[in-house]
Amino acid sequence: MPGTLWKVVGLVSILLLVPLVGPAQQPPSTPPPAAPAPVPPGIIPPGLPAGYVGAETCKLCHDEQYRKFETTKMGRLFLKHPRNMVERLGCENCHGPGQKHFEAGGGKGIGGMITFAKNDPTPVAVRNDKCTSCHNRGPHMFWKGSPHEARDVACTSCHRLMEHTGHAQLAKGNEIETCGTCHLEKRAAQMRSSHMPLREGKMKCTSCHNPHGTVTPALLKEPSLNDTCFTCHAEKRGPFLWVHAPVNESCANCHDPHGSNHQAMLKMPKPRLCQQCHIESRHPTNPYGRNTGSLKFVLGRSCSSCHVNIHGSNHPSGFAFTR
Amino acid sequence: MRRLGTWIPLVGLILGAPLDAMAEIQLGGYKLEGDIEVGSRYYIEEPSKSRKTKFEEYRDMTPGVVLDSLHLRFFSPDESYSAELYGSKWGYEDQNFGLTAERLGLWQFYFEWDQTPKVYSTNSRMLSTETDRGVFRLPTPRPPLFRHNSAPEIDEISTRWDTAKLGFGYSITPDMEVNAEYTRIHKDGDKPFSLAFGGPGGNFLEVLEPVDQTIHDFRLKFSLARENYQIQIGYGLSVFKNEFDRVIADNPCFANAAACGGTDGGAAAPRFGQISLPPDNVAHSFNIAAGVNLPMRTRLTANINYSLRLQNDDFLPHTVNPALAANPDLRLPQDSLNGNVQTVLVNLMATTRPLPKLTLSAKYRYYDMFDVSDVITFNKTVQNDRSITSEARRAGRWDYSKQNAEVGARYQLLPSVTVGTAVGWERWDRNFHREVEDSDEFFAKASVDVTPFDWLLVRGSYRPAFRRIAAYNSRAHSQHTVDEDATAAAQGQSILLRKFDEGERNEQRFDLQVQVTPFDGLSLTPTGSYRYDDYINSRLGLQEETSYSLGMDVTWNPHERVSFSAGYMHEHIDQKMRSRSRPVTGTTTFDFKDFEWVSSIIDSYDTFYAGLKVAIIPRVLEWSSGVNFAYSLGRLNTNNPVTPASGTAAQDASATAQSFPATEDRLIRLDASLRYHFWKQWTATLGYAFESFRKNDWHTDGLRPFMPGITSIWLGDDDRNYTAHIVGLRLGYRF
Repeated sequence: MPGTLWKVVGLVSILLLVPLVGPAQQPPSTPPPAAPAPVPPGIIPPGLPAGYVGAETCKLCHDEQYRKFETTKMGRLFLKHPRNMVERLGCENCHGPGQKHFEAGGGKGIGGMITFAKNDPTPVAVRNDKCTSCHNRGPHMFWKGSPHEARDVACTSCHRLMEHTGHAQLAKGNEIETCGTCHLEKRAAQMRSSHMPLREGKMKCTSCHNPHGTVTPALLKEPSLNDTCFTCHAEKRGPFLWVHAPVNESCANCHDPHGSNHQAMLKMPKPRLCQQCHIESRHPTNPYGRNTGSLKFVLGRSCSSCHVNIHGSNHPSGFAFTR
Repeated sequence: MRRLGTWIPLVGLILGAPLDAMAEIQLGGYKLEGDIEVGSRYYIEEPSKSRKTKFEEYRDMTPGVVLDSLHLRFFSPDESYSAELYGSKWGYEDQNFGLTAERLGLWQFYFEWDQTPKVYSTNSRMLSTETDRGVFRLPTPRPPLFRHNSAPEIDEISTRWDTAKLGFGYSITPDMEVNAEYTRIHKDGDKPFSLAFGGPGGNFLEVLEPVDQTIHDFRLKFSLARENYQIQIGYGLSVFKNEFDRVIADNPCFANAAACGGTDGGAAAPRFGQISLPPDNVAHSFNIAAGVNLPMRTRLTANINYSLRLQNDDFLPHTVNPALAANPDLRLPQDSLNGNVQTVLVNLMATTRPLPKLTLSAKYRYYDMFDVSDVITFNKTVQNDRSITSEARRAGRWDYSKQNAEVGARYQLLPSVTVGTAVGWERWDRNFHREVEDSDEFFAKASVDVTPFDWLLVRGSYRPAFRRIAAYNSRAHSQHTVDEDATAAAQGQSILLRKFDEGERNEQRFDLQVQVTPFDGLSLTPTGSYRYDDYINSRLGLQEETSYSLGMDVTWNPHERVSFSAGYMHEHIDQKMRSRSRPVTGTTTFDFKDFEWVSSIIDSYDTFYAGLKVAIIPRVLEWSSGVNFAYSLGRLNTNNPVTPASGTAAQDASATAQSFPATEDRLIRLDASLRYHFWKQWTATLGYAFESFRKNDWHTDGLRPFMPGITSIWLGDDDRNYTAHIVGLRLGYRF
């Protein structure tokens, strides 16, 4: 350890000396905004509908936003490689026709522009319609009527479009923090000891959910909850010779997929989990304790120590899921 | 590589100076930009191997040098073509990387690779020798059971999931797209596993399940999206392959009456047992969806999905016990299941805005699962390779359908107040194998969203629901799986039980969230929820469940150079169940009322997080730190409302309840880093991380392979406490 520590100290010392020998680092200065000027001749692309002035006109005043938008995929498409008239509208495709805004000299709220800011008076539904005029297929097809749309959640609540923010243009850089802005409980659940690898960065909320709307409750991506789980846990899909009925109907009968403090993300510790439904006779019905006779039923994996194939068995003698 | 790589940061530093003069990198007409970050990780305190189960559960924390991240982007000058290579933790067990290429607006290709380890145990012991994958042998004669405590340690029980994803999307026109995606998940390693050898409640042995499984998932989708209508057609194929179909393990109690007693170790104890592993299976899925926009901001969507799940692996024999295998009653009526399960999903949704302030919606969902696999009856079966059962058993098929319907309305009462209401219904129709053939649940929803000021948003909702059933048939399962006689009926399910997923229930749900942004840069989000489920008319079984959560999130940017976030969440779940100990003597099942017991299962979670970022010198020196704390407490309190006294002394003792000790676990993680930007394109980051995990769980604390007085053998695995102090240094270059 001491040798390693000295290596670290030495490297840090070298790095700290760098500014003494490297080019001086000057903080950038922000130039003052340019005063509005008349639209230079030829800057409005031909063929635009009446009332539209083109992205180059917007750039005259909103240069910084233009340059940031240029770095995004949508920006590159709209500003450099539009495929149709809708995309050729550029900035005005989303913000609305800009002629009145420009002729009035610009300013917030001038000319009826949609700003998509939090205090934008434009109704959320109207703002969202701008997005869904193009994003109406694939994962966005069932947006209308979805839980988020029904509660007037704006697209811009979760996404930032004007600059490159990484995966899916999320507002907060990653899905856990974006979804966790409102779903605090689910954000906290990823910290539970028995969990899927969300906090390790190996899964995301959208591994199972589509926040834009789906045909399945809880915004799950597949036709049913079980089908969603089977995407990765196909060994549980079967069909099996001997079926465990609650497994067949919903994995969430026993598991909490967001995490728990019990083995295998179970909602309740064993044996109690199983004893909710099994009151036949003999050993499933005893309360147990910590006496010797009880220990094999409660320690370790408890009921699953014998009933191993609890999700279903394809063994001819697997009726009790012990084979 | 890692030893040499210790000097990479220094070499890069020296070589980096002249590169600083380069404004742009050109490669054959394309431009190149990107960033690379090389780091090194060293432990001030590293958890020992036996304590790494939780520490490295899903990650590789090996010390040394790591290519933390690499991101390269090639693009044509007009940005119409681009390709990206990215990845992190290259060379480590949890590495991931990807490659994308696209022609902007026309096609996109992507490839992703991810490795995810899953560590189950780093402190197990196993006396059995794995002579072949999935075959575990013990010496004959069997050693005394206590010898299992000095068995060799297993270095690590783990699997690794390797996921490869390949996709291609092509825009035939801006309105028309076709997408194809192939995903391969390969799982390799071992998992804790066990076999039972005794009769019901008899002995078991923990061994390992060999894992070598592959999922091939192929999806094809075509979509046409015009301004007023959209159509989507898709097909999916999922193939699951398991290289192992069985585990065989020697019984530690075979001919070992001295150690295991006359029951588990007697003449009937099998020498070894065989258990099946998940069979191969295939699933096809077909999907068609359509949406149309109509006047008055009306939208109709429809979706139909059909899936077919198939499985037809050959059965294993009933038993590998030579003393039983020759019994003619154990002849298999057929070689395999001809497994065939089909599902149909129909989903219809309509939303309309007949008035500017009024939105109406209607939804209907029908999901049907029908199992047309062969119904197979076995004249006899074998219990745990030990004994032949007396009754015939039929492997029934389990069908069900589920319908959901909902109609709702949202109205903007005032510019700052929107109210919503809905009523809905959920119906289950199950076949005769389950206790409840049909159930109906009715619910109502009320919601209100209030934004009286720019800085305040309040969202509240209330949802009561009532599930009712017509009849509960306690005998349903045994009537159709076992040739029932009076004895079997008496020893079957208690007629007082109501299973929580089928029985009648009243439910109440409240949710409240407030977002306060008193001024730019400060946001407070208190949130709360409450849920109460009352399983009415359930004499035995789950009685009620109460849960609530309270939390707060704060985000504060007091200055453009400072950002702070913090949050706290408390969750509480209380479940109450009632059961009854039902001993059997001969063919008589005793149902003493005083043998009832009640259990409260109470789980609480406290989670806290905070983060601080400070630009000490903007774009030169940045500080970042964060803390995460999670604590959970699980209590299991059990008692008898009446002291058991109606049976024999042994039966009374078995029915007497005891509370278990509480279980708790605590995770703390603290991260801090100082990032220094120099020479415009370089960054150096010095970081420190502290992590501590503590657990008290009587299920596994002190669990050893052999526990005195018990004839079963565990692996003895336990998620042990750990503490780690880690320092890291990263050097990054952006171009």
